[in-house]
Amino acid sequence: MAANYWASTQRKHWLFTRERLAEIRESFKEKDKASHTHFPLPDQRLLNIYFNQQLIKLGKRMSTRQQALATAQVYIKRYYTKNEIRNTNPYLVLTTAFYLACKMEECPQHIRFVVSEARALWPEFIVPDVSKVGECEFSLISEMQAQLIVHHPYRTLSELQPELSLTSDEVALAWSVINDHYLTDLSLLYPPHIIAVMAIIVAVVFKPSSQTAFHGSAAPIAGAMRDGGMNILAALSDKGGAGPPPRIQKLIAWLAESEVDIKAVIESTQELVSLYEVWEQYSEKNCKELLGRMIRSKSLDK
Amino acid sequence: MLGRNFPYFNSVGGFYSRENSRRQPGTGYTSKVRVRDKYHIVGFISSGTYGRVYKAVGRNGQGGEFAIKKFKPDKEGDIIQYTGLSQSAIREMALCSELDHANVVQLAEIILEDKCIFMVFEYTEHDLLQIIHHHTQPQRHPIPAAMVRSILFQLLNGLLYLHTNWVLHRDLKPANILVTSSGAIRIGDLGLARLFYKPLNSLFSGDKVVVTIWYRAPELLMGSRHYTPAVDLWAVGCIFAELLSLRPIFKGEEAKMDSKKTVPFQRNQMMKIIDIMGLPHRDNWPGIVHMPEYSQLQSLAMSRAPNHISRTSNLGSWYQNCLKNGGYSVNSSVGTPGDDGFDLLSRLLDYDPTSRITAKEALEHPYFKNGGPISANCFEGFEGKYPHRRITHDDNDIRSGSLPGTKRSGLPDDSLMSRAAKRMKE
Repeated sequence: MAANYWASTQRKHWLFTRERLAEIRESFKEKDKASHTHFPLPDQRLLNIYFNQQLIKLGKRMSTRQQALATAQVYIKRYYTKNEIRNTNPYLVLTTAFYLACKMEECPQHIRFVVSEARALWPEFIVPDVSKVGECEFSLISEMQAQLIVHHPYRTLSELQPELSLTSDEVALAWSVINDHYLTDLSLLYPPHIIAVMAIIVAVVFKPSSQTAFHGSAAPIAGAMRDGGMNILAALSDKGGAGPPPRIQKLIAWLAESEVDIKAVIESTQELVSLYEVWEQYSEKNCKELLGRMIRSKSLDK
Repeated sequence: MLGRNFPYFNSVGGFYSRENSRRQPGTGYTSKVRVRDKYHIVGFISSGTYGRVYKAVGRNGQGGEFAIKKFKPDKEGDIIQYTGLSQSAIREMALCSELDHANVVQLAEIILEDKCIFMVFEYTEHDLLQIIHHHTQPQRHPIPAAMVRSILFQLLNGLLYLHTNWVLHRDLKPANILVTSSGAIRIGDLGLARLFYKPLNSLFSGDKVVVTIWYRAPELLMGSRHYTPAVDLWAVGCIFAELLSLRPIFKGEEAKMDSKKTVPFQRNQMMKIIDIMGLPHRDNWPGIVHMPEYSQLQSLAMSRAPNHISRTSNLGSWYQNCLKNGGYSVNSSVGTPGDDGFDLLSRLLDYDPTSRITAKEALEHPYFKNGGPISANCFEGFEGKYPHRRITHDDNDIRSGSLPGTKRSGLPDDSLMSRAAKRMKE
């Protein structure tokens, strides 16, 4: 339910195995091989980075909170498990997901305002007609079976902050790791508390001196994280020994005691590592061009 | 029945438009499920600001009766356009999809079709408004005490579920408390409900006026910005009182919003509460001095002659009168809610929202603990019969997309067709 992740539609209907996700995507490809050949798109994660940057631009002009953007990102991901992206106008889906998420997260924006802002950002792809967003909203809600309540890891993070006596720097870093996880499939693969624990581990273990170095130039951090993940694994299996500093020991002790699925936490750390690695290849221009060509050739903006 | 055998007619719905196969590329939306393929509309139940509710039965072997709530689409001119769904429709859809409890209305499915939303709920034969009304006809006869107790217990049980899941109902009133033919209580109409776990905007900012005025908690009347689940418990108190007395306990008149759209102080409603509960003061409501409308309350108290405004609560004598007029007593066949009932009522109608009893505490109250088991069927042992929900057939046309007065080009006028079909049947 709304407060209870374990009884939620998110857990019942929107949690996939990696295999299942791959299967779904493969089936889209099978159905329309021609489109896939003619309209290659960047790696899903690179597209997600692009979508996220566009959402932030849209949200900024309306001073939207992060949680609404996070919900919009989850809606987009869910939607594209039901629909092949090559049959949609992603800019319209993005705008609509944003519009719907704002209502759901109690910071509603008027549809006219959202459409005019979206049109200012992407004049080629958004027509000045609110009914397009209205219609796409039906499509989104229907594909998600009106299961619109999303559980985010932010809440677990703030609940664990006092318990693990996290510093405000650590919380800030964990928060940005959570922001980043929406760029991967993680929110479709693991429950929010796994992501929160992963983010806390990353924040406490790596503690980068400055947060600004975190995005983009991720390769060194990625390497450090991979080793760090191993360290935790090692420490968990070997509870004696000199081991890591007390702060990390405390976290490890908590992890061992809690019934958190450690394997899932490690896997999600690895997912994040590979995100930072693939980030190197990100090119906004490339995403924009490939999407633009697809939309125009297939008249998806009409 | 005509509609069952003849594919192009719905016996009451009129001409049946086949799937229009204009499936656009991109996000052009066509419903995969059609309301009238799955449900046969039996009649019209009620309408409200949100839209209309119809009674339906499942088609094609899908058994059961349903109440289908159709949200009114926004109209621009004569043509219905997609204009974006209201926040309350979104909330109701999302919450109903997520909620699952024996004392909360059960959603079967949601169909989005031809620019309309159809929420398909299980059908409930009764509601508390109708039951209370029935007990005033032809003359007043009390609702048996055991039935009141079962209703209240189930209502609080559903409310506890909502509150533990961070859902505020915000519009509890007899009409929204549904009762199945087997006596189960279902909290209905979550159109105003919302989550209260760390909302992004303060709960106040969204919808300025909440809860039908007779059931509105005093902190809302006093302009509180930080209201809590306690508002729902005040409403439960009002419903409890109404089940016993068969009249709304605080039947005030709503002061309408002025042209500047500022929310007025609900003087009349506040006075109705004070008449029974006494004037609230620091001792029974320490936070009252910080309430935005505190000065209004003071001027209200000043404007009345001192003898005409009660400083202390008259709820005790109200209750005793109510039991007496209703014929509630240990020796009578209807039984009595007794002193425990009074204690619970006074805890629900506590002025101070911070000390008002919670749903969880209320379920543990002696009123429920003492006096034997509580039936999950509120009608158990009740001899009488309640009338079935009134269904009319003036508007059986759930037909998507068009409302009376809006014709679609190229199709015969549906309403004429449906009348013709009915005549043919007769």
